[in-house]
Order: sequence, then C-alpha cells, then structure tokens
Amino acid sequence: MAARDRILSRLRQAQGNPHPLTPSPMKREGETHSGSADANSPSPLVGEGAGGWGGERRRMLPLPELSADKRLECFASEAEALGCVVYRVSRSEALEQIMDLLDGDKSVLSWAEEELPYAGLHDLLASLDVSVAQPDAGDVRVGITGVSAALAATGSLVLESGAGRPRSASLLPDRHIALMTSEQLLDDLETWQNAQQALGYPAFKDASNTVIVTGPSKTADIGHQLVKGAHGPRELHILVLD
Amino acid sequence: MSVELKSNDFVALADIALRNPDLQHAVGAGTRGGYQKRAETMFAHSREHGEHMRQQAAEAKRRALRKLPDLLETAEHNLIANGWQVAWAEDADEANQLVLDIARRHGVESVTKSKSMLSEELGVNHAMEAAGLRVVETDLGEYIIQLNNETPSHIVAPVMHKTKAEIRDIFVRELDMAPTDDAEEMVAFARKMLREDFLSADMGISGGNFLIAETGSIGLVMNEGNGRLCTSMPRVHIALVGIEKIVETVEDYATLTQVLPSSATGQKLTVYTNILNGPGRDAEGDGPEHSYVILVDNGRSQIYGSDYAEALTCIRCGACQNACPVYRSTGGHAYGWVYGGPIGAVLTPLLVGLENAQPLPHASSLCGSCKQVCPVDIDLPRMLLDLRRDLVRDGHSKAGWDTAMKLWAVGMTSPARFALGGKAARVGQYIMGDYMPGILGNWSKHRDFPDFAPKPFRQLWAARKHSRVKERHGRA
Repeated sequence: MAARDRILSRLRQAQGNPHPLTPSPMKREGETHSGSADANSPSPLVGEGAGGWGGERRRMLPLPELSADKRLECFASEAEALGCVVYRVSRSEALEQIMDLLDGDKSVLSWAEEELPYAGLHDLLASLDVSVAQPDAGDVRVGITGVSAALAATGSLVLESGAGRPRSASLLPDRHIALMTSEQLLDDLETWQNAQQALGYPAFKDASNTVIVTGPSKTADIGHQLVKGAHGPRELHILVLD
Repeated sequence: MSVELKSNDFVALADIALRNPDLQHAVGAGTRGGYQKRAETMFAHSREHGEHMRQQAAEAKRRALRKLPDLLETAEHNLIANGWQVAWAEDADEANQLVLDIARRHGVESVTKSKSMLSEELGVNHAMEAAGLRVVETDLGEYIIQLNNETPSHIVAPVMHKTKAEIRDIFVRELDMAPTDDAEEMVAFARKMLREDFLSADMGISGGNFLIAETGSIGLVMNEGNGRLCTSMPRVHIALVGIEKIVETVEDYATLTQVLPSSATGQKLTVYTNILNGPGRDAEGDGPEHSYVILVDNGRSQIYGSDYAEALTCIRCGACQNACPVYRSTGGHAYGWVYGGPIGAVLTPLLVGLENAQPLPHASSLCGSCKQVCPVDIDLPRMLLDLRRDLVRDGHSKAGWDTAMKLWAVGMTSPARFALGGKAARVGQYIMGDYMPGILGNWSKHRDFPDFAPKPFRQLWAARKHSRVKERHGRA
C-alpha cells in the first residue's frame, strides 16, 4: 500500500498548491481551481462545466427522430457499409439462412438457446445433424449469438457476457451470426448508456465483459490496406427476426 | 529495463529517416490517410458540432483530472467490488515486479499481450522475458515489430513506418511464410500463427484506454479482436493502466470512446469497444479467473503539479502525429523513445527529464496543427514553447546560442543598430551566398537563404511618409 499512499499524497499536494501559470484555453473569467488552497490561483485544468463553449452535453452522432422502420434502415446501411450482411427474415427463413452459412459444417459455437431470440433453434439444428461445441473450441468456423441491444447510428451490436452467453461465440469463429429483433434496436451509444444508467449499469457490473461490436474484425497494419478477419470474425451476418 | 532512450540524438535519427525512401513513403501515406479520415468523421455532421464534441471531450478529461486523487479512490473501490484485484506502482521497476509476482503466483509460463503504450514505457516485455516467460505481442503491427526487434513508431499504428514489402520480408525471414504480396494472405498467415498462442497462453496483458471510476470498469478499443482474446481466453488477466486514464462517469466514457476512434482512424466506433468488468462470473463459460489492474504513476504525478498538467488529458489517438509536418517527415523512431510526434515532444521530456530529450521541444514548426486536431484540445504549441523556455532556464541551450541571442537583442533594441545590422546582412549574403557559419549552418544546409527585398522596408516607409507629407502640403 506504500506506493498507493505515496502516489495519492503527491497528487493531493499538487492539487493543493496554487498553480504558478497558464490558465487553460478552457478557462473562463473568474473561475478557480476546484481543490485549490488559494481560491484565486489559475490552473491549467480550470473550468467547471464549460469554458469557451456552451457546456450543453451533446450526442456524438445527432440523429433526427426516427420511426422504427427508418431506424432499422439506418442500422442496416451503417452495418453494411462496414461489411456486415443484414437480413430481415422470418423464423423459417432464418433457419434456412443459418444452414446456408454453416455450409455443411456439423459443429457450431452458440449461446444457450434461452439467450437467443429463437426458441427451439438448438433442437432444430440437432435435427439437421448440427451440434453445439464447447465454448473453448478454437477450430469451429461459425458462431451464433444473440445481442442485448443494437445501435442504429453506428451499426453496432452490444453483447454482454454471462451464463449461457460465452464471449468465444462472437470471437473465435471466422463467421459470426448474430440474431436480434427490431425491438432491440436503439438510436445510439448515448441512448444505450441512458438505458443502462436507469438500470444501475448491469452491463458494467453484472456482466464481466460487455463488447460493442461494430463490423467484422479488421486491420490496416499491412501497407495501410484494410483487411477483414484479423483475429476475430471475418464475416458478420446479422439476422433481424420478424 | 525500458526502451532505450535516444531522444538527444533526434537530429541524427531524423536525418536517417529522411534518407529512407520506404519510410518516407509509408509514413507519408499513413499520416495523410489518418489526417483525412479524422476530418471527414469529426466534421461529418458539421464543423461546429465536431468542435463542440472536442470541447465536451476535453472537459470530461479535465474534470476527471481535477478530481484525480478522489476518483482514483472511487475507482479502486468500484474495481474491487467488480472482482478486480488492484495494485499500485510508482515506477517501471515496481510495475514490472508486480507483473512478475502475479505470473509466479499463478504458475504462468506463456503470456499474450495486446497493444499498450504504457507497457512500452515500462519495458515489461523485457522484464518478463528476462524472468523466463514467453511473451507474444498479438496486435498485428506489434507482432511484426516484435519479430523485427523494433519499437512502435506510432501510437495507434505501430508499424506505420513499414511498407507491405518490408513486412512480407519479415514474415518470410522470421516465420518461413511462403512469399506473397497479398495483404489478405499475410493477415491470414499471422492469424493462424497467433491463434495457437491465444488458446494456450496462461496470462493476458492489456492496457486500458479508460478507467471508469463510477463502475470500476476498463474501456479498451481495438479493431482486430486480439485485445478481446488476450482478456478472455487466459486464466489470468492484467490491465496496465496509467493513473491519468481515469474518467468520472459512464456518460463521459460514452463521449470519449467515440471521440477517440473518430480522431484516430476516422471510425465512429472501433470494431470492438470492449468494457471489462473483472473476472468471469460464476457459470460463465469463459473469461479470466483472476483479473488484476495495476495503476501506474511512472512520473505522472510529477506532471500533475506542473504547468504541463494538461498533457495528462491525452487519450492517445495519434491525431497530432498524423497532422505534424515534422512527424510526417521523420516518423516516430526519430523521437528516440516511446512517444513520437507533438505529444511525444512534450511527454518525453516530462517523463524522462528535459536534459535527456533536449532537441524534442524544438522538433516542431509551431504551426499549431496538433492543437487543432487534438480531440481534447491540448495546447501542445504552448507547452513546446514553455519547454524551450525551460531548456534555456536550466542552462541546456546550445553553446554560443546565448551570445547570439544577446547580440540579436542588442541589434533589435535600437533603430540605428537595426539598420546597421540589415546592411551588414546584405553585404554578408553578397559575399557568403547560402552558406551560414556555425549553428546557423543547421538552417542553411537544407534551405536556400531567401533573397533580401530590393529595398528594405524602412526605406520604403520613409519614402512613403515623405511623399505623403508633400502631398498634403500640395493640397493646402
């Protein structure tokens, strides 16, 4: 604990000193350093709330008011621009699509059935000779997950880990199939954050890992050329169930 | 144990970079691309909105830092509530020792690591390798650099300085890859090589882009997914987090985790915006059994009390590097330590001592582009100027410089002496051409000396005044 106490005491000491110079560009007339011993001393970090700007909190990606249909359109076009494939399907079409994407594979990584918006999917897959592998199987080509929310402004999927929701299903396979319903679609990250706040932030406390997935895994490290499928899934197929 | 410090050799290192055509090509393309994409994304809605979001992000970081000690305690409390084990390190040696102790406690032999600039500062890879651990960097760029025994040259694109052909040669030489010029094949090859490491590693090490005090969470951004693998598959996870990474609320985090990739790569969000909340919960199929956060000071608390405190608000997006005419020409290695570009020219002297990084405050044209693109509006030009002042104050200015400046002051403070100096300079140029003696030669060696105007301004002004006076008299 010695290091901890020394670090905190150094910080508190620095905080208490009147700051020698240079009000920050954010500084407004008459503002003072919050933890300062000398209330008149300017600090580079001065400026509660605002300074040179309105101080009104905005969302990063302002969207107009969207109808449910328009929101889904916006989501699909954002996700597709990133290289995802978005399908609007009925339950029976969804099964057909999943079998197409399995392309003959007999094993799949998957969230537990009760975590998917498709009751009976695992039994249907079993009847077609497809079994669900252990979450740590590193060589399975396709993974199936649900989502806990989706974000229209960025074409993103929010996935919370938990019992029956292994992280690996959206991470290890080459091809990730996400099943969602249009009711799960929110406007943007800020809307999701507000909803989380109202619930006491379960995605930051109850889930050990929450990941917001925006497109297929990619890299531009080799010659600044965009390549999909660096370490995570190369393909992301999003099935929006009616 | 950390990266070899060569910042005092900036001029020589820059000279080498300027003569490397591959580097010139790669860094030029990479920085210009990043600069362009940032502008497109930040101002996609409107310039006014983009500027507003910069100020919103800046204020989120500044408010967090104003409350830093209190928020660190809040964060510690909430991290522990989330199941993290929290340790504190004052410097690199302490941090590395903590990592080694954790590795020993859990019988760790192999480690996968995702990208962390702090870990470069600490030299944690060297420390682990010296202790007999196998360490694999898993960000593709970092992996290439580790294979080639280099350090990252850019904050978000560590191998920005290499062309595709150079990377191919490294894979062929080090890993016997079948030669190919296809980037997709090269990525697929690296994916296959690294997959085994991911699945067999005992411990994963990550950095942390944000430490959310309100919930005890770590925010990580990444595109490849390696950071998810490092923090999900091994039994043990350590997050190395600088104490300045603190944000107060999830609401602030929501702003910052969007502004960061917009400024870095022009993405609205990175492919994986990863929120880590401690070890895997009961009945969860995967996730680490043991999660640690090491909160690292390593010089930050010294900066906190100084005029340079705003440097701590940096969220490491690399936009200032992409915008900087010096960085665009030299790449990151010329700066001689972990951080290149304008933020590196400020942070390096502050973290390693001004005497060990004397050329860096001068490695800038002060054009101001870095401040303009900074997502948290850090006044980098102001700090570069202040560091130049500190260099003089501490007696680090070059021999002869003081005398030259004093002479300059003598010349500039009297109209007569100024006129005389101007005449002398004209005569001087007539005789010497573009050659300038002594330290002035650094300037003229790479540039043509601009020709003097046919008539000095003083003469023009005097003549104009004279004619005006005559004109007025004529009218009267």
